[in-house]
Amino acid sequence: MTPCATIPVAVTFWSYFKDLAGCGSTTVEVPRGATLGQVIDEVMRRFPGLTGLRQSALVAVGVDYQRPDYCLREGDEVSLFPPVQGG
Amino acid sequence: MKRWVHWSLGAIDEPALNAAIEVSPEAGAVLVFVGRVRGQEAGREIVALEYECFQPMAERQFHLLLDQIAAQWPIESIRLVHRIGRVPINEVSLWVEVIAPHRGEAFTACQWLIDEMKRVVPIWKKPVLRTP
Repeated sequence: MTPCATIPVAVTFWSYFKDLAGCGSTTVEVPRGATLGQVIDEVMRRFPGLTGLRQSALVAVGVDYQRPDYCLREGDEVSLFPPVQGG
Repeated sequence: MKRWVHWSLGAIDEPALNAAIEVSPEAGAVLVFVGRVRGQEAGREIVALEYECFQPMAERQFHLLLDQIAAQWPIESIRLVHRIGRVPINEVSLWVEVIAPHRGEAFTACQWLIDEMKRVVPIWKKPVLRTP
């Protein structure tokens, strides 16, 4: 069987990014072999309220920060959030 | 290095934490940092802070930081409690204990841990403003 040309990627928003997106999570379809940067591009296209915060946004896959050139694998869960403020 | 990271949904029990201290005869410094919620946030009067946490990632990031501390300084142990949810002003949001042979490394490691926490550990706070 030929594998699908795209994979679904779950994206979770945290903190005020949830408010700006209007939801806590979404799923985007990206080409197999897509990078994290491509996922963020798609998220920004679908949620214009986040566009202005792209430079300050932090991005993780699973429980680790990843760079935009990270190549996504099926089952990866992406988190997108503003600068952290613990303490 | 012994380590313990804990989340608290209610008030942090400082007396219980202090009573549970474990110090070896080699440790000459016991440093406890207590972070409290101030009555003002960005110049506005508040009644509380709402802390939100991406807990699995926060734990992972704390442990990565503790790995770096263990590699850099001769720290005997670190215990850390961060409160999440609504924390009223004057209450404790963060409790950190660093035990080391000497005060220098205890102060340095504690400062570094809290600075790095504020850079990489996914915890956010939202002020609850005081209404007139």
